[in-house]
Amino acid sequence: MNFDVIVVGAGHAGVEAAYAAARLGCSVGLCTLSRGTVAHMPCNPAVGGTAKGHLVREIDALGGLMGRAIDATGLQFKLLNRSRGPAVWSPRAQADKQRYATWVTNALEREPNITWIFGRAGRVLASHGRVEGLAMEDGDSHACSALIVTTGTFLNGLIHVGLEQRPAGRHGEPPSRDLAESIRAFGFQGGRLKTGTPPRLDRRSIDFDARVGDESWTVEPGDPVPVPFSFATTVPLRNRMHCWLLYTNERVRDLVRSNIDRSPLYNGQIRGIGPRYCPSLEDKIMRFPERERHQVYLEPEGLDVNEIYVNGLSMSLPRDIQETLVRALPGLEDAHMLRPGYAVEYDFVQPTELRSSLETHRVEGLFFAGQINGTSGYEEAAAQGIVAGLNGAKRARRELPIIFRRDEAYIGVLVDDLVTRGCLEPYRMFTSRAEHRLLLRIDNADLRLTPLGRQAGLVDDEQWTRFEARRDRYDRNLAMLSKALIRSASGARIPAAQLLRQPGVRLDALAEDHRVDLAFDLCSRELDLSSVETVVKYEGYLKREVALVERTRKEGGRRIPHDFQYFGVPGLSHEVVDRLSHVRPETLGQAARIPGMTPAALAVLGAHVGRTPPAAMLP
Amino acid sequence: MFATDDAIVAIATPQGRGGIGVVRVSGASALSIAASILESDGPLQPRHATFTRLRAGTRTVLDEVVATFFQAPHSYTGQDVVEISAHGSPVVLNDLVHRALDAGARLAEPGEFTFRAYLNGKRDLVQAEAVADLIDAATPLQARVAFDQLEGTLTRRIGEIDADLFDLTARLEASLDFPDEGYHFIDPEETANRISAVIKAFDRLLVDASRGRMIREGATVVISGRTNVGKSSIFNALSGTCRAIVTDIHGTTRDLVTETIDIGGLAVTLVDTAGSRETADIVEREGVVRAARARQVAALVLIVLDGSDPFVYDDDRTLLAETAGQLRLVVFNKCDLECPQSGTFVDVPSGHRVDSDELVRVSAKTLDGIDRLRHSVVQALSGGELLRDTASMSNTRHIRLVEFARGHLVAAHAAVASGAAPEEFVLTDLQSARSRLDEIVGVRTTEDVLRHIFERFCIGK
Ligand SMILES: Cc1cc2nc3c(=O)[nH]c(=O)nc-3n(C[C@H](O)[C@H](O)[C@H](O)COP(=O)(O)OP(=O)(O)OC[C@H]3O[C@@H](n4cnc5c(N)ncnc54)[C@H](O)[C@@H]3O)c2cc1C
Ligand SMILES: Nc1nc2c(ncn2[C@@H]2O[C@H](COP(=O)(O)OP(=O)(O)OP(=O)(O)O)[C@@H](O)[C@H]2O)c(=O)[nH]1
Ligand SMILES: [Mg+2]
Repeated sequence: MNFDVIVVGAGHAGVEAAYAAARLGCSVGLCTLSRGTVAHMPCNPAVGGTAKGHLVREIDALGGLMGRAIDATGLQFKLLNRSRGPAVWSPRAQADKQRYATWVTNALEREPNITWIFGRAGRVLASHGRVEGLAMEDGDSHACSALIVTTGTFLNGLIHVGLEQRPAGRHGEPPSRDLAESIRAFGFQGGRLKTGTPPRLDRRSIDFDARVGDESWTVEPGDPVPVPFSFATTVPLRNRMHCWLLYTNERVRDLVRSNIDRSPLYNGQIRGIGPRYCPSLEDKIMRFPERERHQVYLEPEGLDVNEIYVNGLSMSLPRDIQETLVRALPGLEDAHMLRPGYAVEYDFVQPTELRSSLETHRVEGLFFAGQINGTSGYEEAAAQGIVAGLNGAKRARRELPIIFRRDEAYIGVLVDDLVTRGCLEPYRMFTSRAEHRLLLRIDNADLRLTPLGRQAGLVDDEQWTRFEARRDRYDRNLAMLSKALIRSASGARIPAAQLLRQPGVRLDALAEDHRVDLAFDLCSRELDLSSVETVVKYEGYLKREVALVERTRKEGGRRIPHDFQYFGVPGLSHEVVDRLSHVRPETLGQAARIPGMTPAALAVLGAHVGRTPPAAMLP
Repeated sequence: MFATDDAIVAIATPQGRGGIGVVRVSGASALSIAASILESDGPLQPRHATFTRLRAGTRTVLDEVVATFFQAPHSYTGQDVVEISAHGSPVVLNDLVHRALDAGARLAEPGEFTFRAYLNGKRDLVQAEAVADLIDAATPLQARVAFDQLEGTLTRRIGEIDADLFDLTARLEASLDFPDEGYHFIDPEETANRISAVIKAFDRLLVDASRGRMIREGATVVISGRTNVGKSSIFNALSGTCRAIVTDIHGTTRDLVTETIDIGGLAVTLVDTAGSRETADIVEREGVVRAARARQVAALVLIVLDGSDPFVYDDDRTLLAETAGQLRLVVFNKCDLECPQSGTFVDVPSGHRVDSDELVRVSAKTLDGIDRLRHSVVQALSGGELLRDTASMSNTRHIRLVEFARGHLVAAHAAVASGAAPEEFVLTDLQSARSRLDEIVGVRTTEDVLRHIFERFCIGK
């Protein structure tokens, strides 16, 4: 068949990519191994978390699926960092894995522009440096203008459980070897990474009722009034389940220590680099011997499944030891292990091979998104999916790419970090990676991005109408705060905004005490109010940040032509030339962020690329 | 990023006790900066030396100066340049620099004038590459600290304070990014206390600096070479002392030996170092490392070769290659003995050719040629732009940065103490403070913050 865009893989990156391209009116072929694993969560049954929650809000502001899917199927909702400032509040939810996947599958089914292609993709078809289509392992082939590969951990995937090794993309699914070979043949740089997952227990073998009142088990409930991920969610969310927190003990520690030589992580069997922020149990115990105990969360994987996810016990020890180890935990003496934890090694493509549109430098029309680019996490994958889907569609329509700046979205930070710095270990988003974090809040994700999404064609009429109403409320509330005069403690009449700027004064209390008439949407009340409160309360900080952004943009926004020849530019060292020729930064700002760049090299470069005015769309 | 058209200022000549010193301002606003410093009737005329005085102002020292305006592109850098010549005392020249800074100029990085000259097509490639390398290699902290340790000083203290500040920001970041890891990273009270401790440390440092306790003067001249070639003998001959121990045993000198001396009216900090060679001796090896660091902060390096030895050794070649981009002199010692190396040509691998004007022949024993060496040192230091900060220049630079950093910290402290702003807002001030110190201690990225956290805390599930 003939498509504008083909997406390989229907994980979190693939589904967003296909959905975005379809929204832009492209005919999309969505190629994946089976319907049963669409939007599957191979690891923890949760969406969001610090900085990840920001990504989901942004995906939602751009018309993506993830926020609506988790709101519709989440089991428990929490706003993290509520005691900190508004820029680091971040939503997190426990997911019902099966229902989540079904919700996403149904949403895709409803898109007339998407055609499913079930089967194993085998080869990228290209000629003269340009993508032409996709060949399946069974011999079929399909033509397209843009091809987006989102195959996650499948490229030469290798699973380890103890000393056992087995080629697999993830549990129960064979790896993709032909596709890996086809991608390697283009000459992309890449490497090998590793990730892992903990064992699953059978809910029926754990006596939860007996744990009530047990000191070693703490119930972890959701927020009393859940804050939704999606700007579209208009019915109040409910928590349906809770989790439990317990701790590892000395027996666990001794079991790991005495069996460490049977862990593929410690006996040299695994070469791939794992994420520092998701250490395996082996790592936690061996690297931090002084820490007496480690947290373990028991998280149900869904309403009508029996899997309990043992968050904190990611490991690759042999199966029998895992079982003994789990039973060493208080209250789990009789627990039955459904599946052992495992580690998986896989190939990734060094993302410095990509432009900010996630298109490869080497092959026009070929895009990579998700874990294949060295990231880890559903949200990071989904965020890249939307960028690749949008720009794949743009490529198919021969239009200019759309790029999100670092000062406008975490999505921009994510992509820019990847394409300028590359990955040495699996990449996870943190709020500290966003230098303009104060401006990138969950409360204003829609104000920042929905207009852009609308312009790009990602945002449909329904979402746009809702957004316009929300923006009107926001403007009205801001005006109201500077207009409304209220009596302060000293008796003087001052604008409400002035009182709000004082430490400790909160908007909802102020509005109530002084009867300031604010408009808000019932379901998203907290963030509606917070978006107004923050810009008033921290006006000084935000203004400074905006000024800083403008300055950086002026200096860093100057474009470097894509075919710029670095070789032979006097004053640039060989290392710098190599690095620049590989990364091919699009702007001076990107060049500055490449590791190893020096001020002098930048000045030389600046003098050579001339004085093209800052491009409005580039970071 | 490195701007290339804002106004920069620096003392263009090494600081001596007598004579004349020159302060150079380059950039589009050079003329207006000069106008706000100088008392004068009407604007400076291109290529005319104007005799005038400094405006009375908040700064105290008044002096008569000569100002010369070089209009772009007919100047050293190719930009508008104003050169102000004044009595060469460090106090007067530093005062001039400060006035220019107050008027909106920025302190030039070492080598930055030459670098601009290159960008404007005023210098050729070879020189430019050398300068670019030099700026790239912006004196690493360890080199500075190792050297300053001798006199116990500013850079080291800034480095220590910065390490505290860095740890504080990393903990605050951790508390935001890893809220439920069961760690208690830091609380507002501790944050406020630690910020105020840093402010106090900076205050002590600024007081000491203003009392001149940490100011060394003059350009650093480092003596390097293989063992036993006579480095210490030359040190003693130049300084007129016998501070450095001289024996015929290879590897006599281990530590850095310094002496501040006057050479032809210039203040020079002369440094004797351990001879370069591979060695198993731990003490000596540390000495060799220190010697390398001293070279990195040197304004001028004297490379001593044994003129009575017919061979050129690998250690000589390595040294010559390593210092190729630097201001240096090659000194043939022991010329009282038979000198097989009679020519001016030195056999070194291509690319590191030694120009004949870099060569001086002396005997530390008979003192033959020592006066000529003094003369060459003065020539080399006064010849053009100094490519390394002199000690007092780096003090000026560092103190200014510390003052800026302190300002941001005061804001951060006020916000924490009053509860006016949550952590992520306070962090913007702490980051602004740290980014000032980056220029001294080197840039640290988010990756460094994350590494700091992951090394100390067991994070993640
Ligand atoms: C064992 C394991 C543990 C993990 N642990 C963590 C963790 O602790 N923390 C964390 O943040 N993240 C973790 N992750 C990562 C997280 O699951 C992924 O980052 C995220 O799901 C990646 O999304 P993706 O869309 O890039 O790829 P995936 O969700 O993996 O989707 C890949 C898709 O490609 C399809 N596919 C593959 N090959 C072909 C082919 N040849 N033809 C057609 N279709 C193909 C597959 O069917 C699948 O639909 C883990 C993943 C695994 C497997
Ligand atoms: N004939 C002659 N001997 C010299 C001269 N200069 C130094 N020497 C001798 O050479 C030997 C080494 O001199 P030093 O000054 O200690 O040499 P150095 O380079 O400091 O040696 P290390 O500290 O070991 O690296 C001593 O015996 C000196 O007397 C010179 O000009 N002529
Ligand atoms: Mg000696």
